[in-house]
Amino acid sequence: MKSKIMVAVLALCSLQLSAQKMKARDGMVRFFSETPIENIEAVNNQVSSVLVAENGQFAFLVPIKAFVFEKALMQEHFNENYMESGQYPNASFKGNIANIEEIDFTQEGEYEATFTGTMEIHGVQQTISQPVTLLIGENLVTVKAKFMVKASDYEVEIPAAKKDNISNELEVTVNVEYKK
Amino acid sequence: MNWKLRLMWNTRSRILQKGLWAFFFLASLGLQAQDDLLSELEEESKPATEYTFATFKGTKVVNLQTNEMPGKGVLQYNILHRFGAFNQDFLYNFLGLDNAQVRLTLEYSPTEWFNFGVGHTGVNKVYDGFVKYRLLRQSKGEKNMPVSVTGFSSLYYSALRFNDDLPRNTSDRFSFVHELVIARKFSQNFSLEAVPTLVHFNLVETRADNNTIFAMGLAGRYKFTPLHAITVEYVHQLNPNSYSVPGSDDQNTYTNALSVGVDIETGGHVFQLFVTNAAGVAEPYVFARNQGSWADGDLHFGFNISRVFTLQKPKQAP
Repeated sequence: MKSKIMVAVLALCSLQLSAQKMKARDGMVRFFSETPIENIEAVNNQVSSVLVAENGQFAFLVPIKAFVFEKALMQEHFNENYMESGQYPNASFKGNIANIEEIDFTQEGEYEATFTGTMEIHGVQQTISQPVTLLIGENLVTVKAKFMVKASDYEVEIPAAKKDNISNELEVTVNVEYKK
Repeated sequence: MNWKLRLMWNTRSRILQKGLWAFFFLASLGLQAQDDLLSELEEESKPATEYTFATFKGTKVVNLQTNEMPGKGVLQYNILHRFGAFNQDFLYNFLGLDNAQVRLTLEYSPTEWFNFGVGHTGVNKVYDGFVKYRLLRQSKGEKNMPVSVTGFSSLYYSALRFNDDLPRNTSDRFSFVHELVIARKFSQNFSLEAVPTLVHFNLVETRADNNTIFAMGLAGRYKFTPLHAITVEYVHQLNPNSYSVPGSDDQNTYTNALSVGVDIETGGHVFQLFVTNAAGVAEPYVFARNQGSWADGDLHFGFNISRVFTLQKPKQAP
């Protein structure tokens, strides 16, 4: 019995060690706020991510200062007044692919995956489960997702005077490509 | 029988224990791996140097420059007002509004570190051109810099008509101001700056007067909400000139400008509302030709409003 456990432990350990980490450096996250008065959009092309094919573990790191806006002042206000990026430089999402057993990284095609884990924005953590499209190609794996994020869920305060300009619900688009 | 059972139980619990240990060990391994993934990313993507931004809300505190300038490709329009003094028939003059002095400026930043502009001020009919340039930026990380240093140089031409028939050269109409803004953002809400300032008049009132006046400006802001800040600003002259008081033989020294205000940010605008003893609006007259004093109630309501227009979008913008 003892030896069986030891074998199991060793086997799992070696699995962890040999787990193939797929990495992405210049992933894209874009968000869009729509109100009757104005639409605000920003794009970030410096998203980094790791995805482990064997066990479905993942992590995304989004440097807040790398969001580029159409207007320089918007970008400054976003960092200074809303996201407080001096204090909270990154947003992150880490967790597991819930249905990893349904995904075959060796088989090219389109998969629907559920990314479950902890999203951290503005220093506030929320547990979320997010449907994601996984495109598995010959050399690339692409993660695509579109979802809504509520600013208030992450204690990002939109002052009353700005409520007509900035939506509390933002549409977030994610596109990250990993080399296999 | 009894002892046998106990032995069996013991053995089982030992195995169970081992199993549990193994389970915890594996669970922690899994968790650790996940955290490792994130910290691995954090380690890799840490920017080498992090630059401070938004040290002040506006490009001016009240009369002094800040280290801030409009972003690259941004045109900024400023409207600056100084109302009449509290002690000059304040109510009769509609809270000083009837004696308002106006200054308008338009400036553009072709790059992240350089800004230039033109302005016009009602007082003395002054036209001016100015440049502002970043020399150092406060940063931490690979490059550690405790302060931001920004230079400001301005040239003023007074187009005022003279009715005294005295011969004057065109050069007599010029004055100059140089400011070296040394600013530090101490926290998200609190910033200070020291501004060594030089004011030069080509023409002064008497032979005894200094053409060049040295001054030290000090200013700070405290943000009490994300969109509101309190500002205080003081410019101390080191070698002030004097002026003769009309109707007497007295000589008074030009006073130092002290201003207290509130910054209100509303998207593309910054509204700065304040009380100041300097009505001159344009820098040379504010810093070195100011006759108002707080003690005598020579106070003026004033506001600066800025509006930005993005002429050139950032390349990566959506």
